Amino acid sequence: MITSHLRLRSPRNMKKMNTNWLITLCLLMTFLSETGTAQNVVQYHLYVRDTLVNFTGKEKHAIAVNGQIPMPTLTFTEGDTAEIYVHNELKESTSLHWHGVFLPNREDGVPYLTQMPIQPGKVYVYRFPVIQHGTHWYHSHSGLQEQLGMYGSLIFKKRKNDPRFRHGIDDLPTMPVTLSEWTNYHPHNVERMLHNASDWFALRKNAVQSYGEAIREGHLKTKVGNEWKRMLAMDVSDVYYDKFLVNGHPNGSFTPGQGKNVRLQISNAGASTNFWLRYAGGKITVVANDGNDVEPVEVDRLLIAVSETYDLVVTIPDTTVAYEFMATSEDRTGSASLYIGQGVRQLISPLPRLKYFEGMKMMNGMMKMSGDLDDMGMHMSLNQMDMNVVMYPEITGSASDKKKARTNPEHDHHPAKDRYNANRLSSITTLNYAMLQSPDSTQLPDGPTRELRFELTGNMNRYVWSLDNKVVSEADKILIKKGENVRLILFNNSMMRHPMHLHGHDFRVLNGKGVNSPLKNVIDIMPMETDTLEFHANVYGDWFFHCHILYHMMSGMGRVISYENQPNNPLIPNPRYAQRKLFSDDRHFHMMAENDFATNGNDGLLMFQNTRWTLGTEWRLGYNDMHGYETETHVGRYIGRMQWLMIFAGFDWRYRNEGIDERGENIFGQRNTKDDRALTSLGFSYKLPMLIDFQTEVFHNGTFRLQLMREDIPVTKRLRMGFMVNSDAEYMVEARYVFTRNLGLRTHYDSDMGFGAGISVTY
Amino acid sequence: MKTTSHVLMIMFALLSISLVAQSCNITTESVKVYGSNERCREEIETAGNQKNVARVSWNPESKTATLTYDSRQTSKDEILKRIALAGFDNELYYTPDDVYEKLAPGCKYERPRKMALIPDGKANLRHDSQQAANADQQKTSPLKMIIDRYLALKDALVENNGELASKKAGELAGAIDKVSMQSLEGDSHQVWMNVKSELAEHAEHISQTKNLAHQRDHFDGLSKNLYRLVKAHPTGITLYYQHCPMFNEGKGGDWLSGENTIRNPFYGSQMLTCGKTVETLK
Repeated sequence: MITSHLRLRSPRNMKKMNTNWLITLCLLMTFLSETGTAQNVVQYHLYVRDTLVNFTGKEKHAIAVNGQIPMPTLTFTEGDTAEIYVHNELKESTSLHWHGVFLPNREDGVPYLTQMPIQPGKVYVYRFPVIQHGTHWYHSHSGLQEQLGMYGSLIFKKRKNDPRFRHGIDDLPTMPVTLSEWTNYHPHNVERMLHNASDWFALRKNAVQSYGEAIREGHLKTKVGNEWKRMLAMDVSDVYYDKFLVNGHPNGSFTPGQGKNVRLQISNAGASTNFWLRYAGGKITVVANDGNDVEPVEVDRLLIAVSETYDLVVTIPDTTVAYEFMATSEDRTGSASLYIGQGVRQLISPLPRLKYFEGMKMMNGMMKMSGDLDDMGMHMSLNQMDMNVVMYPEITGSASDKKKARTNPEHDHHPAKDRYNANRLSSITTLNYAMLQSPDSTQLPDGPTRELRFELTGNMNRYVWSLDNKVVSEADKILIKKGENVRLILFNNSMMRHPMHLHGHDFRVLNGKGVNSPLKNVIDIMPMETDTLEFHANVYGDWFFHCHILYHMMSGMGRVISYENQPNNPLIPNPRYAQRKLFSDDRHFHMMAENDFATNGNDGLLMFQNTRWTLGTEWRLGYNDMHGYETETHVGRYIGRMQWLMIFAGFDWRYRNEGIDERGENIFGQRNTKDDRALTSLGFSYKLPMLIDFQTEVFHNGTFRLQLMREDIPVTKRLRMGFMVNSDAEYMVEARYVFTRNLGLRTHYDSDMGFGAGISVTY
Repeated sequence: MKTTSHVLMIMFALLSISLVAQSCNITTESVKVYGSNERCREEIETAGNQKNVARVSWNPESKTATLTYDSRQTSKDEILKRIALAGFDNELYYTPDDVYEKLAPGCKYERPRKMALIPDGKANLRHDSQQAANADQQKTSPLKMIIDRYLALKDALVENNGELASKKAGELAGAIDKVSMQSLEGDSHQVWMNVKSELAEHAEHISQTKNLAHQRDHFDGLSKNLYRLVKAHPTGITLYYQHCPMFNEGKGGDWLSGENTIRNPFYGSQMLTCGKTVETLK
């Protein structure tokens, strides 16, 4: 257990750390052997350091703890006291959150909420009694550090004499398995690109879903319908990852000493990846979820959502064979494998590619023009109905079968309730939450009940994610009383699934199992689903309740749940300052810049945007006075949940000298100053169907300007087109070919500057 | 002229450096790769080859492949995994069963591992004794082979897998051929005589095509005949006779299933749950 500290992965630090480590280890061993039995205090020392990793052939910055990614597995037995020393050797602050653990609020590890961050060079101690058992995990709750490697397994063992000890399950050979993902883009860049609606990730995944591809697959109508409803190409996940990892490697192995059955303690430490889990050696038996035992249930596969944990029992049918246990990312762009057993490796088939246009069609069906979702009376919950099955070839047939079948569409008459029920549609049994049952009664103690309803909201185009259309910084704390039972009713009215996580408490999921409803601390809610959860409010504190997809959380999808009349947290000496820092995560502005170095001038823009505000400047700079120079600056605010409307104040400046003082006339007969002007304006922009921006602007001299513009029409996987036309009789058409994330070739025709071609650079 | 020769010299120098650098890392290895005969060669080699990185050459007689690869960029492990995912067992990896099933019939080979082990592969936490009891009971019927293969064919149709259906129908035809008449008595003997040729003919038709529509036409006939047989000769296996009213332009279609839940073999995923159970046979 402790020796895992010595597994160093970064060769650069090896020498230096080795000596350090030997000393620490010796000290630790002595200390442990003295105190271990008497007080059951179990100590760990964690050294957090910047490191370089090489997953893809390029060295990249990451964060390692005790020289390893994932962080070391920490093991305790129920009844122990955990004492974890965090040595922050980074150049920035950090924190550690104990995911799914019941503990005093001040040990929960959310910087600026339950403690101040651990500053560089400081040592910080987390100390809490272990009062539960099960598979949990821990991770940094500071910024985007989790994506860089700060995650690890946290195992609480049952005591041997525990009456809940299950023979044949709790005494099996066991392996902690941490699933995660790696991207060569720095997470800050990932976050920025998501907010800038860059489709570079889709391009890397081959999931652009352009018009060209739509026509080839006979789905032009679907694509037009999709853009008519103002949606960008849909996908099941947002980020392209280079590698998927099991315990820090693309492949791993587990060779249990003896016995046919083994138990895997799996935590999904991916920042934004749900994984399909499948096994080449037969069925998978689910025995625990989120650290809580469940009645064994046998399935062919299951999806583990971000931040969930599952304990699975699998059998090794033949002792001369190693069976592949595969974790495939939900978008199916990659996988990681664990080979269980010894011998020749029995593979399992990779999951086939998603049928994106079927998914798009399904999305079109459930999206109303208002941007609300329409469940067509299906009352979906608990992942029992998965709209995504339309995209799964292994369940609904491959795309080419579908094409043949379309000849007689009137035959499509599944009862609506079964159309998306994966377990009714095929012989593959997929786990859903309705199949989980606690072995013990989980009834809450008597007490008053408070009901809280939340609508999960967001929009993909601007990557804003929220609850009831409010981000963390826009909402008050939710106040509850100690001793009452809190019922949470969550409805997902957004287009993505969200694993919602509550700190410090387990909630019961009302899934039809009555008093044996299962306990969880994360629930993955698919679009249009409504789930009901309840928990007993029994521990003071400010507890974070948020979507565990890292980039959703950072954009503000969460709330703080707080107790009335609770004592102050001594670790937060200045609550106002702390709150401001906590809120800064979602208030943060993201930069975007573009410039086209063309033959007829420079076209470009620079923009800063956050949840509601935008500040941007566009420019068209010619190479001589005749072509002229022009800039437009807007400060605007987005309105409404879908943020289709933006109102703004602007400033236009232009200088041009064509020799004659040309004054243009707009289509309303108003004269405008084409050659030399400096005007302020007020206006609004509204996103029309087909994603066309309609902009109306009135200048301080009384002139009007109306404008229609559409950018980034995906013609093929890499070709984008755009156009602009306005009431000053100006127009522009462009085509851009995307080479890399930052570089493209652009050609355009502009009514003022004529034809141009050049290289466009995007940041 | 002079500059040209300079350029050539530099180019030559660079080339030789890169050649030397490359040759240092070229590894050649001989490994076991299973396959039937010459016909598999191209598939094995294509799966393993990687431009400028790995080359595979397979010998059908000895079932060995010679791997030549750049050890900086790839490994024997990676190459053999690709070959296994294309359907060919080898010394490091066994191919997934469903991938093996999809190999062209001529390319099937005797697999090194006995696949019968898979059904035991369930985590033995429950249901075990029950399954064993069922299995014993089923062994007693001489028609079990036919029914098993018929049900496998039906499942292939449910999954819209024409290729698999064709294969399963071939197996079914084989099983029909093997039933000895002595094992059937009285009435069922008579029925068997009546339906045998029809059963065999439909099964053969299905096995000879991969066209799902054509297969389904024959599957309807096959099912009706098998129903007559099962009705006359109880098998001890619970079967559900099920009906889809829409098949064949409203004339309807029938089939037998081992489960009461409807999973429609005439339309597959397109309208999987269309239909109802009309009779339960025991």
